[in-house]
Amino acid sequence: MDHFPGTHWGKPRNDNIDAYGTYPLHAHQPRTDAFADGVQRTQQPVVTGASVLALKYKDGIMMAADNLASYGSLARFKDIQRASGDMADFQQLKHILDTLLIEQFVQDDGHKFGPTEIYEYLSRLMYGRRSKMDPLWNSLLVGGFKDGKSFLGYVDLLGTTYSAPTLRNWVWRYIAQPLLRKSVEGREDTLTEEEAVKILEGCMKVLFYRDARSLNKYQIAAVTEKGIWISDSRSVETEWAFAEGIRGYGAQTQ
Amino acid sequence: MELNGGSVVAMVGKNCVAIASDLRLGNQALTIATNFEKTFPITDRIIIGLPGLATDVITLKERFRYRVNMYTIKEGREIEPETFAHLVSSTLYERRFGPFFVEPVIAGLTKPSEGSVPFIAGTDLIGCLTLPKDFVVSGTASDKLFGMAESLWEPDLGPEELFETISQTLMNAVDRDAFSGWGAVVHVITPDKVITRTLKGRMD
Amino acid sequence: MSPISQPTSVAFNPYAENGGTILAIAGLDFAVVAGDTRQSEGYSIQTRYAPKVFRLTDKATLAVNGFAADGNIFVKTVKQRLEWYRHAHAKDMPLRAIARLIQTMLYAKRFFPYYVYNILGGIEEDGSGAVYSFDPVGSYEREACRAAGAASSLIQPFLDNQIYFKNQVAVSGTSHPKHLPILDVLSLVTDSFTSATERHIEVGDGLEIYVIVASGRSLTELSSIAGIEEVTGSASATDRVFVIRRELKKD
Repeated sequence: MDHFPGTHWGKPRNDNIDAYGTYPLHAHQPRTDAFADGVQRTQQPVVTGASVLALKYKDGIMMAADNLASYGSLARFKDIQRASGDMADFQQLKHILDTLLIEQFVQDDGHKFGPTEIYEYLSRLMYGRRSKMDPLWNSLLVGGFKDGKSFLGYVDLLGTTYSAPTLRNWVWRYIAQPLLRKSVEGREDTLTEEEAVKILEGCMKVLFYRDARSLNKYQIAAVTEKGIWISDSRSVETEWAFAEGIRGYGAQTQ
Repeated sequence: MELNGGSVVAMVGKNCVAIASDLRLGNQALTIATNFEKTFPITDRIIIGLPGLATDVITLKERFRYRVNMYTIKEGREIEPETFAHLVSSTLYERRFGPFFVEPVIAGLTKPSEGSVPFIAGTDLIGCLTLPKDFVVSGTASDKLFGMAESLWEPDLGPEELFETISQTLMNAVDRDAFSGWGAVVHVITPDKVITRTLKGRMD
Repeated sequence: MSPISQPTSVAFNPYAENGGTILAIAGLDFAVVAGDTRQSEGYSIQTRYAPKVFRLTDKATLAVNGFAADGNIFVKTVKQRLEWYRHAHAKDMPLRAIARLIQTMLYAKRFFPYYVYNILGGIEEDGSGAVYSFDPVGSYEREACRAAGAASSLIQPFLDNQIYFKNQVAVSGTSHPKHLPILDVLSLVTDSFTSATERHIEVGDGLEIYVIVASGRSLTELSSIAGIEEVTGSASATDRVFVIRRELKKD
């Protein structure tokens, strides 16, 4: 169907002999610069970061992440983020958040972002970028504690959001989520800090045993009324003696 | 399955079973015939429903007739519903890598000396049997039939109540399916007779 | 396969399908809008509680189903437009106007649609219960009942049968009721969802039923329902909104 019959006086269009034609329109979009062909949007994550587990307990929220690709967090205000996916996208995300928090700081108007505000901002940012078909290739867990209330939320590269008593991202869902749900669901208000640590340790141990891409070196972080606490890197005791007699495990003796 | 369309449902009642099919035969969206029954009697107490590719429906109907006749001659007795279900299963599995495109439903009563116990079964196109306690659905309207049957069926329905339940289940399901409909045929098998009724339905 | 494998990339897919089912039924002077609370992607349950039904005004509730991120953003935008309307006109937007607003908003994104099925339920200006259902690009119609989402094909024929009395013949000399009593409607809603939960893996966990009641209608039937909660927004509202929460199977 020719939508622009008036532009060529009834003569069939030929782009080879009519360089100034503007039809079809999409074929004549102006190039922004000489490198326009080289510009790529994130199509798949390049350097991937660690996965994260999170749960709610009596005093707030607790997260665990292994140190395989990265660690460190935005230790600002009473909330922390851990992200998995493309590291470059994650660093840009951190930069955007930093800028936002600095802007808020210089305003000095008495308003402070809590976890819910950060979460809302991040989910809008992620959804906005997916709508431009230029997503930030991450899944984020936002946990925090403000005004006596704990908060745990998830947002991914599509802008999909949800909250639940236990969260995790990427492949860990298949291993760790059932363990977390079993020990946490329905007990969010009674779990003590010691119990929460124990649950996460249990999960990290199973993950180390069963997930080839995990590392027996991880950190635990908690957000409570008192603020943020991040542990030093730690390991779990593992037991490999059983592997001796199993072909395919441990050293090959047969 | 969407080439010719068609749906079948079977339900268990109190000392009775029912099986019903729609009557449409189509060539994709075009309706070819409106009297194509997909249920076939096997014995006086067993009926099989064969929704799916019409050419395979006819082939299998004949093949089951042949195999059941051979069974009757060799064994000198009528085949039991459960035995027949396994016969269907193995017949389909013979064609594991070039299957018949049908998903059979079997309904029957065991012989009177064994108490005329209701039996229903369904298989997929390569003969994987399911033996539910309540109902079996199959064909292009199977998801609609699941929704209807799951909400209308209840245990221990008598022949007339079972007839109403299976009829409402089938009619309302096929009315939401473009590939099934144009009326239905319903059989209720009781220890002493088979009640067969043809239902009029929406013609669109 | 060539010995040197080329790097391949799959185009980014901006949509996901998050399961769940919604349902709405209109009565003479009330409307019921319900949805399950499970949110899933593939075989994974993301959360057991993500509401799909939202109170917009004291006479309108909106249920959204499909791609959850689109759904949430869409509800937020509708709420924002309704607030602007309130500031401009000092009253709530009437239901039929909300319906048209939703159609315009959906069609505005005709070539990058909100992947969301909407069902709007509430009370019209004449006090009648109403349900409007939409497709993702804005086609809409007013109906007496509608199911949408993952298990819509399981529920809709059941509603045809039980609400519209399809394939049922009334006893001679009588006729089928045009509108059902509120308690009958609520039983049909719970039955629909328990059946859908039984047979569809993406449906379950919890059920939220919003009931919007026209002004002047007796509330005695509602008060007999266990755990019913009023969520009417303003104290001066004449129409009232209630919510009933029920558990569904979690497997």
